[in-house]
Amino acid sequence: MTFSEKIWNVVRREVRIWVRRPIYIVGSVFVMAFCTFFYLSFLKDGVPSDVLIAVVDLDGSSTSREFCRQLDATQLGKVVHYDDFASARFDMQGGRVTSVCVIPEGFNRDIQAQRQPTMSFYINGLYFLGGSLAWKDLLTMVNLTAGAVQREVLRMQGVPESTIMGQLRPVDIDIHQIGNPTMNYGAYLANMMIPGMLQMVVIILLIYSLGTELKYGTSRHLLQTVDGDIYAAVSGKVALYTLLFTLIGWSIEVILYKWMHFPLAGRLGQMMLACFLLVLASEAVAVLIIGCVPVCRFALSIGALYSVLGLSLTGFTLPVEAMPAGLRGLTMMYPLRYYYEMYVQCGVFGSGFGQWYIYVVALLLFCFLPFLVLRRLKHAYEYLDYERN
Amino acid sequence: MKETYARKWLRDALGIFNLELGRLLRDGGVMIIFVVAGFLYPILYNFVYKNGVLEDTPIAVVDDADCSDSRRMIREMDATREIDIAYRCTDMQQARGLFQERKVNGIIYFPEDFGERLAGEQTAVFSIYADMSSFLYYKNLLMGSEFVMLHEINNIKVERFRFDGLTDQQADASVNTVLYDDNNPWNRAFSYSIFLISAILMLIIQQVMFYGMSMSVGTMREENRSFASLPDTLSGHGVGRVVLGRGAVYWLLFMIIGIYVGLIVPAMFGFPQRGSFRDIMVLLMIFVTVCVFFCMSWSTLVTRRESAFILFLFMSPVCIFLTGCSWPATAFPAFWKWFSYLFPSTFGCQAFINLNTAGADLEIVAPQLRALCIQGIVYFVVACGAVYVENFVIKRKDRIDEVRKGMEQRIEQRIERRIGAGKTQI
Repeated sequence: MTFSEKIWNVVRREVRIWVRRPIYIVGSVFVMAFCTFFYLSFLKDGVPSDVLIAVVDLDGSSTSREFCRQLDATQLGKVVHYDDFASARFDMQGGRVTSVCVIPEGFNRDIQAQRQPTMSFYINGLYFLGGSLAWKDLLTMVNLTAGAVQREVLRMQGVPESTIMGQLRPVDIDIHQIGNPTMNYGAYLANMMIPGMLQMVVIILLIYSLGTELKYGTSRHLLQTVDGDIYAAVSGKVALYTLLFTLIGWSIEVILYKWMHFPLAGRLGQMMLACFLLVLASEAVAVLIIGCVPVCRFALSIGALYSVLGLSLTGFTLPVEAMPAGLRGLTMMYPLRYYYEMYVQCGVFGSGFGQWYIYVVALLLFCFLPFLVLRRLKHAYEYLDYERN
Repeated sequence: MKETYARKWLRDALGIFNLELGRLLRDGGVMIIFVVAGFLYPILYNFVYKNGVLEDTPIAVVDDADCSDSRRMIREMDATREIDIAYRCTDMQQARGLFQERKVNGIIYFPEDFGERLAGEQTAVFSIYADMSSFLYYKNLLMGSEFVMLHEINNIKVERFRFDGLTDQQADASVNTVLYDDNNPWNRAFSYSIFLISAILMLIIQQVMFYGMSMSVGTMREENRSFASLPDTLSGHGVGRVVLGRGAVYWLLFMIIGIYVGLIVPAMFGFPQRGSFRDIMVLLMIFVTVCVFFCMSWSTLVTRRESAFILFLFMSPVCIFLTGCSWPATAFPAFWKWFSYLFPSTFGCQAFINLNTAGADLEIVAPQLRALCIQGIVYFVVACGAVYVENFVIKRKDRIDEVRKGMEQRIEQRIERRIGAGKTQI
């Protein structure tokens, strides 16, 4: 039997297993479809709008009412009126409103008399996005209010309109958001969460596929179909899973960058390459885990622990440099980390080959991992001398 | 002594409790999940998010203005907690190179006319270029430069009013017409860890219980036993006894894990604990109870030992989003809002965040507790229903098999007749 014949035998055998047990297709295609649907539809707005801001207007003057109307008119905020601070705080503590803004009594009178009234904001920073956006909105609005008052004063003094802006705002910032110009949270999170789920699914499913052979004692049959050649046995399985997951991964890339039009500075082909390598490297990790621990259940538990933590350790939410020093090395053990780096180079900066080839190399290096454990796996496959359950 | 119904009920439930406890303790795999995941995960997550705040993001500056104002602003930005001016570049090309090499996470650019415009009382604009690959870089660059900008605006305006002959106090009153005072009482530095860990802790309880229970149910199924079989002495009654007896085992185990996760872990890591002990215990008791019924209901679907990992592992990150701790719950699409009501973690995490981290009391979290109670009742009924159906199927297995066989035979006969009819036609 030539090597290619052996691989063909394994592939045919594996396809029969898929047909008999739908868990493989459900666990890959359905799970990834659900995740893609979830992250794209859940975050479809890009930026949350109408976060609830409680306003306690103790003044009730035309100025304070105008402030409330303006705040309500912003895209971010939606004003909820409260009669007193206690009830507003009650709801903020219960997470029902993101923040409380108190307009003091005599607000309008103090502004007119230049007595500098003080507004108070209270923000619930535990509901992260809502809290920080409400804070930003309130700060903008109070600065605009102060500006509006000054503008009126300047107009009364007879300053020409053309120079009023220079007086009101001597310095301004021109903000450029590289890689995500609309500050779309959906794009930001989905870009990494969905490949992160792919890494998880690849690792779990391949461990399961290799592990069930041990669990149900079918590993000898697998070895028989390849004349005892463990390289062919694992390559055959990996080949089929690579095909399946690469197709899933590529569909995801097309959905993200062509269908949803998420910003991508580089080429789609580069992301597809990154995705293919992510699949390969994750498979290598899966083989390593089941090779080290040839007990299906243990290997799955380790794989689950490893891949769930991977989402945090990739560093796309909390950057790696903010993690404790001891953990920074650990982040290098995840294929997703290199996928992320490659996404930053290709997707955010649109860099050339010279900037991202190193991540391709890193992901390819993962592919050497299985060779460390294949002999051990073969031993386990032949003798079935490990605990099955 | 006369055997009352209550006494018999208790004895049966205790028997089932003992049976299940023994089964769990003997199952090494399940115990490993409970112990390792239940005890290790909270520590790992606390460790990953220990710092929580990103400080001194490296930034490159291109100062084409090279005036005293721009230099002062650069110095001030460097002094903020958020920004570290790591490189001063001669042109944008160089800064861009550093940006792509990821040596800096942002660029600040002062154009040539910055000083002139400022002197001419026009709006002087400087640019920032933020790396959006992590939003924390952007937040730092924006906050650092915005603070400095607002501070500068203030100084410049006061200075100008003083030139016009106003006193310091008058100038200040003219510039700062409205003052504000902002408080972020429960997460002062907008720390990433405080908001995320609060939500993760309760989720760990739910997920660990689910994986463990699914594994145990799957094992029994593999061994051709059922998780739900009623003892023969009960003669078909006593679904409640099975559910409550089995549930009590998990409840006790997870109250231990829950106390560890909800009370000891935060103390170990110096995490804010503003709630009262009593309130958190009340929440844990309700939450763990609901989780038990939730897991019992859903684990019915599991047929093999490992399938829970393959089919449901991806739900953990999804559940985090569904708690509303990051994307605000008011902005959920309607479908996902309803979907989130399926999980006890949605309300459990919210209640824990409010109680433990925001220092609320039970009255404030009453809506969440009420929702948890409703969930608990619904899932209890579903769990009972599952046991009932399971027993119905087991008891009538022979009958069901007979019916199935009969149907198959009839279909076969019919097919044969058709074929036969076809043949005769030919």
